[in-house]
Amino acid sequence: MLTIKVLGSGCPNCQKLAYLAERAVEHLSVEATIEKVTDHLKIMEYNVLSTPGLVINEKLVSSGRIPSEAEITSFLTTALSEN
Amino acid sequence: MKIPELALTLLQGGLGNLAAYLAAHVLLCLVPAFYIAGAMTALIPKESVTRLLGRNAPKWIAYPGAALAGSVLAVCSCTIVPLFAGIYKKGAGLGPAITFLFFAPAANILALVYTGGVIGVDLAIARLVLSLTFGIGIGMIMALIFSREDLAHDKESDALFSGRGKMRGAALVFLLILVGLLLAGTFKVGLLTNAYTQVTLPIAGTDRFQDTLYRLVPYDASRGQEGVTAQGAVLIGLLVLIGLTSWRGLNRIHEGYNAWTWIAMALVGLTLLTAAVGMSPHAGGLDLQFTGRFFGVVLALAALTWLMFKRLTKDELRDWLWESWRFVKQIFPLLVVGVFAVGVIRVLIKPEWIETLAGQNTIPGNLAGVLFGVFMYFPTLVEVPIANMFLSLGMHRGPLLAYLMADPELSLQSILMISVIIGRLKAWVYVGWVALFSALAGLIYGAWVDGTPLGLLAMYLAALMAALGLALWLVGRRNRQKMLAAEST
Repeated sequence: MLTIKVLGSGCPNCQKLAYLAERAVEHLSVEATIEKVTDHLKIMEYNVLSTPGLVINEKLVSSGRIPSEAEITSFLTTALSEN
Repeated sequence: MKIPELALTLLQGGLGNLAAYLAAHVLLCLVPAFYIAGAMTALIPKESVTRLLGRNAPKWIAYPGAALAGSVLAVCSCTIVPLFAGIYKKGAGLGPAITFLFFAPAANILALVYTGGVIGVDLAIARLVLSLTFGIGIGMIMALIFSREDLAHDKESDALFSGRGKMRGAALVFLLILVGLLLAGTFKVGLLTNAYTQVTLPIAGTDRFQDTLYRLVPYDASRGQEGVTAQGAVLIGLLVLIGLTSWRGLNRIHEGYNAWTWIAMALVGLTLLTAAVGMSPHAGGLDLQFTGRFFGVVLALAALTWLMFKRLTKDELRDWLWESWRFVKQIFPLLVVGVFAVGVIRVLIKPEWIETLAGQNTIPGNLAGVLFGVFMYFPTLVEVPIANMFLSLGMHRGPLLAYLMADPELSLQSILMISVIIGRLKAWVYVGWVALFSALAGLIYGAWVDGTPLGLLAMYLAALMAALGLALWLVGRRNRQKMLAAEST
């Protein structure tokens, strides 16, 4: 079970990232919850200076850019193997 | 005038303005500017600048660093808000955060290039220099006013700002060539504007086509309007094609490239080349003049293509294409609507109104410019065609700059956003200072336009900044002493 958070105030890039994360989860067919974090103060707790940010199991894996679906998939599998 | 006639005049005004903007010289600067903005977002690692903005950075690095961050990192709100909050809460503090916030909308590459291309290079430079000076000035003033609260700031670690990203050489060269492309397309020097060879294409009827265009979109050269040429019509057609192919090729680029991606890229290149050729239709055919500009664009495009495929990584290329396309998608439709609306409104406004209100470089004139900027909110970049309209209606360049400084800084939306982060009191104090300094900037620039020597103005500015810097340093020292005293008891 993975907890995925997408950090961002709702700008187009954040929505794109959320969409790609959903797709990656679907293709891997793993169990995961995806949450969008839009509160600036909460976003800053992850030490992010530019959105969109991607957090998997409370660990920040990327920020300031949109990783490709392949990248997200590898983030997910790494997180799974660490569980 | 009867209603249908009036409606027709308004429609023609709007379409004429739109066509003139899309077709003319604006393209050669705006298209590369979008790609430069994309490259800055995608290829410059944010850490390379943000490390200048940590809590322990000295003031003489933090303030210019904040300005630098504003001009290269913050082309969109995705970066402005988190970076502003980060600098304020965990980094260099309120002053640099304000400098960043003030400088970003005025000095990002799109705003600067567009101002220069549409209104004039002198106004773009004035906008840059005065925003930089006053951005740092307002930052220091805010830090002075709220120096006590800045002290009470949380003393967390500097971890957020300690990253040390470095830009790759290839990415840097790529960015520089993009800037070169922009310069080759816009600079007005003999080397670039001279035609070196000429070819006549035996296409009959292009002159009649152009005459039809002039009739469809009437224009008045004495009011600074431009008609649509045959070349302009071709360019507009190409733009529409780029839009359609990009939609299919770039919108889902994170799921992989497809043929449309490359077609869209090729069309962009073709558009730039078409815009760089001089075309003059006549009865016998179509003359193509190959100017220095054309060869410059060819060289730059060739170098860019080579770098794209041989030197940039797949991720860099994809991020660059995506960010550029995102800017186009986000800004261009608003710009089109805005330019059309400006054309319509221009028909309705009488030049006498503007001339009485802000025809001279006076204090009320500059305040009028600022007030208009505060109460009107226009989407990114639309402030530029609006300013151009005022200029053609007889506004003095001083109040015009005052308007251009105030409009992007002060919209209700941005005031609300920053008051969430720094509190309502600070936000409104900031608004007051921006209004004051925008009017001041207009007065200074207007005085220069009216003939006051540049050196004198620069001296006044430097004295003002030095006084502010000194005051900030003194207050900082006093606060540190207080803090030490408090700790020792």
